[in-house]
Amino acid sequence: MQKQPITPKDIINNYGATFAFIVAIVFFSFVSRGFFSGQNLQNILVQSTSLGICAFGLTFVLIAGEIDLSYGGVIGLVGAVLAGMLKEGHSIGMVTLVCLAIGLGTGLLNAILIVVLNLPSFLASVAVMFICMGAERIYNQGITTWIRDPEVVSIVQSQVGPVPAGVLYLFILFVICWFLLTQTRVGQYIQALGENINAVTEVGVRAKLLKFMVFVVAGLIFAFAGYIETLRIGGAVMYAGKQILLFVLAACFLGTATFKAGKANFPGTLIGAFFLYTLLSGFTGLGMKFYLVPVAQGLVLIISVAISSVRRGKIEQVQF
Amino acid sequence: MNRPMGDQDNIVIKAEGISKSFPGVQALKEFDFEVERGEVHALCGENGAGKSTLMKIIVRDYIEDEGNIFIDGHNVKDLGIRGVQELGLSIIHQDLNLIPMLTVAQNICLGREPVTRFGTIHWKAMRLKAVEFLAEVTSEIDVEDRVEDLSIPEQELVAIARSLVTSPRILILDEPTARLDHKTSDEFFSFLERAKQKGLTVVYISHRLEEIYRVCDRVTVLRDGSKIITARIDDLPQTELVKYMLGREITQQVPKERVPIGKAKLSVRDLFPKEKGENIHFDLKSGEILGIVGSIGAGKSEVARAIFGADPKQRGAISIAGKEVKINTPQDAISQGLALIPEERRDQGLVGNESLRKNMTMAALKKKFCVGPSWIKQNQEIRAVKEYIRALAIATPSTEQEVQFLSGGTQQKVVVGKWLMSDSSIYIFDEPTKGIDVGGKYDIYKLIVDLARQGAGIIFISNELTEVLSLCDRILVMFNGQIIKELETEAINREELLFYVMGGRDYAETANNA
Repeated sequence: MQKQPITPKDIINNYGATFAFIVAIVFFSFVSRGFFSGQNLQNILVQSTSLGICAFGLTFVLIAGEIDLSYGGVIGLVGAVLAGMLKEGHSIGMVTLVCLAIGLGTGLLNAILIVVLNLPSFLASVAVMFICMGAERIYNQGITTWIRDPEVVSIVQSQVGPVPAGVLYLFILFVICWFLLTQTRVGQYIQALGENINAVTEVGVRAKLLKFMVFVVAGLIFAFAGYIETLRIGGAVMYAGKQILLFVLAACFLGTATFKAGKANFPGTLIGAFFLYTLLSGFTGLGMKFYLVPVAQGLVLIISVAISSVRRGKIEQVQF
Repeated sequence: MNRPMGDQDNIVIKAEGISKSFPGVQALKEFDFEVERGEVHALCGENGAGKSTLMKIIVRDYIEDEGNIFIDGHNVKDLGIRGVQELGLSIIHQDLNLIPMLTVAQNICLGREPVTRFGTIHWKAMRLKAVEFLAEVTSEIDVEDRVEDLSIPEQELVAIARSLVTSPRILILDEPTARLDHKTSDEFFSFLERAKQKGLTVVYISHRLEEIYRVCDRVTVLRDGSKIITARIDDLPQTELVKYMLGREITQQVPKERVPIGKAKLSVRDLFPKEKGENIHFDLKSGEILGIVGSIGAGKSEVARAIFGADPKQRGAISIAGKEVKINTPQDAISQGLALIPEERRDQGLVGNESLRKNMTMAALKKKFCVGPSWIKQNQEIRAVKEYIRALAIATPSTEQEVQFLSGGTQQKVVVGKWLMSDSSIYIFDEPTKGIDVGGKYDIYKLIVDLARQGAGIIFISNELTEVLSLCDRILVMFNGQIIKELETEAINREELLFYVMGGRDYAETANNA
């Protein structure tokens, strides 16, 4: 079969959001004071870490053909428990294990509700989100708890060479996720699962077990995101998960318009996360009123998605 | 293989007294079935006879209520899908179960990816493996292409190649040629021939008599979940086979009837559909059945959709009863009395989870059953629907049945009923008999002839040359987006038609040279 030559139009169509991202960076570099400085670009990366990490968890679930919004509660709950237990004098090692246990528990709960009991994933995971938010409120009484120990905070806030530790975690997790998905058998099956579960069952793979594991892993990643977010800020703010609920979703779906795939993918999600904070930083730097920034962000997102004629002619929609 | 010879040893699949019921349906009743080593065994029966259920039980998708199945003497009772695969069984389902986003190589090796010693996928080995198995079937497909970029016939070939990865000794094919065009079905049959020579046993489920007689050794006929007969194909004339399948005698498979042809009804001039096709010219008279044939991808559906306003056209003039009309949307077409019964009836013609009544009155609702802007006269609606259920012999428990639970043929009739209600006078049928059993086909042919008798003009798009030849008055052959030939049905035979469908230029000359 003869390959068609690639035209500029193809590039825009296939990589619309990536293209828009680059245009945005160039644009802000020229017009927004102080945008293109090492410090500011590093800030953008640092701000994107927990959002990016959380979005990787969601990306797994989206690729497997489901949705999981429980992170909206898990992040806050993990944050509250992390700050609260440290304040009570528990060791950081102990607290870290408890945080991961929360992720494991919520992941298992999602998996049981969705894979074993066959509840719709949107509804089940939103219910788990509410439960976690309630637990968070009960645990911390609605009070912001700060973490005073500089050593603990340095887990995320220190520099490893020129790179902030948090950003390093983001990239390490990215490499692991990307590798797992594209270079291993399990990754192939997860991709196949989202397209056609019968095809996976037919070749003798235990598809349900695989889907179960996807939710468990996602739960762990969400807990990790909450852990990083809390240490980055240096404290647990009320309902931290709710704050980034839609940003995470936006990063993942923006990612579908980033590369040719037209489907959730890890590089796309990473760029999606950076893109969102680039816009925030860029527009703020322009001296735009804070209440107008979301409007500008929204417009740019619409444009960047609209110029990419994503495969199959549409962006993947959340299926309820 | 070092096995003692004997009659029993020659049986590779043996099913004894298999029963299986689903809520409300007894799909299989004490069914016995035997397949001999190295034969191609056809499984015939109308839709819903239980063929697919039987196959799914054999491959352990379903578990039987009663009975036993032995593969090469092993009872499969406690085996899973993977277990029967290890016994050498492989199946190609009607839904191909490919992953559109993955490449051909990834699909062929799915579940059996070669890995490096680090546990990652060995891409090069995977590619070679895929190339090796694909070469058994076709040489035209690149293993690096994504499956979603392939045509449906090509996807089918990929699915067949994938089924070979487990090195099966028994292959089950569920209507393999339903999705193939002329070129790919040639590739398929030569693959089947080679496989048979290598000693592969094949269970072949098909609706196409011609193929069954071409490739099969024996045939088992099912009806209503019971076995009717197993016979050598040479001992069973086609008419007998159809009789066993239907349980009644059909003297002619297609009603041959010519009705008087009247004045020009529709004329299409200089039509360029945007999707595919160029310079389409033709006329259709009232009472005429005009066939449009051509292999998959020739542009038949595109022409139909462009006429109907469902797809945009670059240019072209359409006249109805001598008057030029503007059709830019399906609404325009409907108001001009056009009706399109689309190929993908589930996607384009029906709302699956709605009732038969709502589906059937959808097009005519505003014109016939409404008071004011949107108040529905429901009594009248129900009465009309009941009338059409009777007239079209639609098998449904009630007017409120959700259409997704009706059989394929019945669904097709519902779509036809929908357009009959809207008082159309020009009908475009796009592959109306695809995937429909013999009895259902007969009903649809009868319906089309009835419409023609009442003076409607019919465009009949199909891939099955036999039905086109016996049903249509005139045939247009499309190839690569163009109408390359117009033929009077009386004057041609099957071979000649096939010659043009495959893109031949001058039949008489070629025949003389040969």
